[in-house]
Amino acid sequence: MKNPCHGPYAAVALTAALFSVLLMVNSLWIPLKAELAQRLIERSWSETAAGDAASQPWPWADTRPAAVLSVPAHGIRQFVLEGNSPRNLAFGPTFADGTTNGRDMIISGHRDTHFSFLASLRAGDLIGIQTRQSKQWFEVSDMEVVDSRRRVLLIEPGLQRVSLVTCYPFDSPTSGGPLRYVVTAIPLKRRSPSSG
Amino acid sequence: MRRQASIRDQLEADAWRNHPNFSRRFKRITNFTGRKSLNWRDRALLIITAVLLLLLIVRVETSRADDSGGAFWGLEFQGAAGSGRAVALDTDIRVEVTGLTARINVIQAFQNSGREWEEAVYRYPLPEGSAVDRMQLHVGQRVLEGEIREKEEARRQYQQARSSGKVASLVEQERINQFQTRLANIEPGEEIRVSISFLARVDYRDGSFGLSIPMTFTPRWEGGGSAAESLESAGFANAQSPLIMPLSDIDDHRLSIEVDLQTGMSLSSIESRYHDVDIHPSLQGYRIFLADPDTRSDRVFELNWTPEFGSEPVSTLSTFDGGDAVYAMLLLAPPLAELIAPQPREVVFIIDTSGSMEGTSLVQAKAALLLGLEFLGQDDHFNLIRFSSGSRALFTESMPAYPSYLEEAADFIADLSASGGTVMAPALGMAMNLPEQPGLLRQIVFVTDGSVGNEHELLLKIGEDLRDSRLFTISIGSAPNTWFMRKSAEIGRGSHLHIGRLAEVEERISRLWARIENPAIQNICVDWGMDAEFYPEVVPDLYAGEPLWLFARLPREPLQVSICGELEGRYWEMESRQIPGQGNSDLATLWARSKIDALEDSRIFGQDPEAVRHDILTLALEFGVLTQYTSLVAIDRTPSRPDGAALNRAEIASLLPAGSGLASGFSQTATGWPAQLILAFLALLTATGMLLYLPSSRVRPAGGARSPMTSSLP
Repeated sequence: MKNPCHGPYAAVALTAALFSVLLMVNSLWIPLKAELAQRLIERSWSETAAGDAASQPWPWADTRPAAVLSVPAHGIRQFVLEGNSPRNLAFGPTFADGTTNGRDMIISGHRDTHFSFLASLRAGDLIGIQTRQSKQWFEVSDMEVVDSRRRVLLIEPGLQRVSLVTCYPFDSPTSGGPLRYVVTAIPLKRRSPSSG
Repeated sequence: MRRQASIRDQLEADAWRNHPNFSRRFKRITNFTGRKSLNWRDRALLIITAVLLLLLIVRVETSRADDSGGAFWGLEFQGAAGSGRAVALDTDIRVEVTGLTARINVIQAFQNSGREWEEAVYRYPLPEGSAVDRMQLHVGQRVLEGEIREKEEARRQYQQARSSGKVASLVEQERINQFQTRLANIEPGEEIRVSISFLARVDYRDGSFGLSIPMTFTPRWEGGGSAAESLESAGFANAQSPLIMPLSDIDDHRLSIEVDLQTGMSLSSIESRYHDVDIHPSLQGYRIFLADPDTRSDRVFELNWTPEFGSEPVSTLSTFDGGDAVYAMLLLAPPLAELIAPQPREVVFIIDTSGSMEGTSLVQAKAALLLGLEFLGQDDHFNLIRFSSGSRALFTESMPAYPSYLEEAADFIADLSASGGTVMAPALGMAMNLPEQPGLLRQIVFVTDGSVGNEHELLLKIGEDLRDSRLFTISIGSAPNTWFMRKSAEIGRGSHLHIGRLAEVEERISRLWARIENPAIQNICVDWGMDAEFYPEVVPDLYAGEPLWLFARLPREPLQVSICGELEGRYWEMESRQIPGQGNSDLATLWARSKIDALEDSRIFGQDPEAVRHDILTLALEFGVLTQYTSLVAIDRTPSRPDGAALNRAEIASLLPAGSGLASGFSQTATGWPAQLILAFLALLTATGMLLYLPSSRVRPAGGARSPMTSSLP
C-alpha cells in the first residue's frame, strides 16, 4: 500500500538534500581552491626563480605571481597575482592594475579566504613585499573602513606605499556589500624587520 | 475546523500567486488527501521548503555569475568627481575648429573656500595625438604665461616658488594621454584660473568629421592611456597624500563648452553624441554651445559634422611659413569606394581565447568573426587561428571562401571557449608565415583584449616578419592595451579599432570589414618637389573612407604636391589642392608633435634611449610642446603667502577612464562561501526534517525509518 502523497513529498525532500550537498561542495571548494592555488603558485614561483621563465602555476593559468606578501606577526606568506579579476582573486590576493611597479601598490584579497587576517592587523605591524627584484618592508600606518560607492583609491606613482583592501565587515557571511577595509602601510624607516 | 480551512485557502492562494507549477502539485496532494486532510503545519513546511529551494537556486546562480568575470572589476570609478574639500573647480572649454585642426582651451577655475593656503593637484585626460603647448595662470588681474622647461628644472622652479609662498602652476605629462596640473599657494577665498591649451587633429571616418574631448570622467570604452604607457612620475613623494578620495559635491563642478566650427565646407549635419547642444550659424561656420547650463563634466564630449554630398574632402595641402622653414599638413583623401572594384585577398583571422577573454569579450569577438566571414568574397581565401597558451590554425594553408569551408569556420568559431594564458607571438608568427597565396594581398586581423606584457618584443617581431602583409587590430573589452594595438596596426600598415560595448560590435566591425574589403592604395609615395622631412615616415595604405594626414617640414613653400601609389597593381597618381591661407603656426606644433611620436617609436626599435631623450627634449623646447621630458611652469614673481602660513595639499579627484591607472575602484573581495555553507546546512536540515517528519507517519513505506519525532505526530 502506497501513500499517494509520499512521492512528491519525498521528491521535494530529496531535492533539498541534493541541493544541500551540491551547495556544500560548491562552498567548500572555494577555500580549498584558494589554498591549493597558493601551493601551485609557490612551486611556479620557485621554478621561475630557478630560471624556468615559462613556468606556469597550472597549465591553463592566465596570470602569474608578481610578489610575495608576508606578515611575520601573523605567519602569513601569500603570493600576489597580476590582474585584478574575480577569477584571479579566487587564487590569491591581486595587484590592482597599474600598481605592480613596486611603488604605490594596491593589493586586494577575499575577506573570507586569503585576507581574513586583515582583521587582526594593527598599526605598526610589518608587511613585507618581495618582488622578483627586491624585498621591501612596510609598517601598517592606517586602517580605515570606506564605502566603495562613494570613494575611489588614488594611485600616486610618486609615493611608496602599500594598501591591502578587503571586504567589510569581516564576519558577514554573504558577499556583495559596499564597504571595504583598507589597510595602508608606509615604508619602514631605518629599522630592521627583526626589531619590529 | 473552519479556521483550519481558511488557513488552507490562504496558503493555497499564496502558492497560486507565487508559483503556479508548485500550486498545481499542491492541489493534487490536497485532492489525494481529501478525506484525510493534510495537517496545515505540513503544508506550511512544504511551502517553506519550496521557497528555500528557490532561494538556493537563485543563490547558486548568482555565485556562478560572480565567478564568470563578466562584470567589470579592477580599475573603475563610481561617479563623477568632486573635491569635497576646500577647493572647488569649474571647467570652461573653448574649441576653435579651423578646417582640420582644433585648438582646445581648457580653463579651470579654482576657488579656495577654505581657511588654509592650498596646493591643488588635478589631472586631465587628452585626446590622442594632441599637443599641449600653452598654459596661462590668471591671478586676480594678472596673467602669467607658462613656459616650457625641461621636466626636472620645471619641477625645481615650481617647488622653489611653492616653498617661498608664490603662486605657481606646473603642468606635467604623466602618461601619453594625460597631464597633471599642480597649483601652489591659493589664498583663502581667492579664485585662480588656469588655462591650458592644446592642439588636436580633427578625425575623419566614413564620411563624417569628428572631435572628441575627454572630460574628467570618461566612459571607459573611449579608452585612454594604458599601463604600457606608464612613465615615471616620481619626485613628489614628499606629502602624505590621502589615498582615498571622496566622490561627492558634484555640484561644485560646472562645465561649459563652446565650439567655434569653421570647416570651410557646407555641412549636412552637426551632431553631439552625448550632450544636448544649441547650434547657431555664424559668419564663417557655426557656434555650438551646451544646451544645459548645469552640465556635469562626467562624459566625453563628442561632436560630429558631416559634409554635404559632393563636398567630401579632397587631398588638400595647407602650409605655414615659419621663417626658416615651411610647415605643411597634407590630407590624403582616398578615392570613393564606389569607383574601385574589390580585389581578391587572403584574410587571416587571429582570435585570442585566453582566460581574460572569458565572458562578454569572447562573445563580442565571436560576433565580429562571424560577420567577417560574411564579408569574404568569392575569390578570397581565409584562415582562422586561435590562441591562448598555445595556438591552433583551422587550416594549414588558407582556403578559398567556399560554403563548405565557411561552414567549417563557423563551427570552429562557435566552439571557441576562453581559458589559458595569452601567448601572442606564436600565433602572430603562424599567421605571418602561412604559405603565400600568389596574387593575393594578405590581411591579418587580430582580435584580442590586448593584455600583453612583452609589447616591445612583439612589435619588433611584427616589424621584421610582416613583409607585405597588412595587420589590422581589433581590441575589445573595457581596458585593453590600446597603445599596443594601435602601434602594431601602424607598423603593420593597417588600422586599429576599439570596441567597448557589445551593442557597437555589429555596426563598427561592419564598417571595418567594408573598408578593408576594397583594395587600398598601397606603397604611397609623396613628392613634395624638394627635400622634405615628413611624418609618419611610413605612409600607411589609403583605404576608402579613411584619409591620412602627413605633417612635413620643407625648405620653402611647395607649389603642389603629387602623390603616387599602386591601386590593384597599377600605378596611381593624384595631386593635392592647396588651400590658401589656412595654415597657421599650429602646423609647426603639430609637425613637432608627430616627429616626437616618431622618435618615441624609434626607441621600440632599439634606438638609444638617451639619444632619443635628447632629440625629443631639443625639439620640445624649440617648439614649446609638453612631452614626457618637458613641463609647463608659470610662477608669479611676488610672494602671496605670508611667511609662516602653512600650505595644505588638496587633491581634486579627476576621475579617469578605466585603464588609465590613476585611480582604482574596489574589487568584490568576498566570496561569500560561509553564507553558502550555512544555506547548505539549512537545506540539509530541512531535508532531514521532512524525511523524518512526514508522511511516513500515516502510511509507512516498507522499510521506512521511524523516528521518535514522527511517532509524536497526530
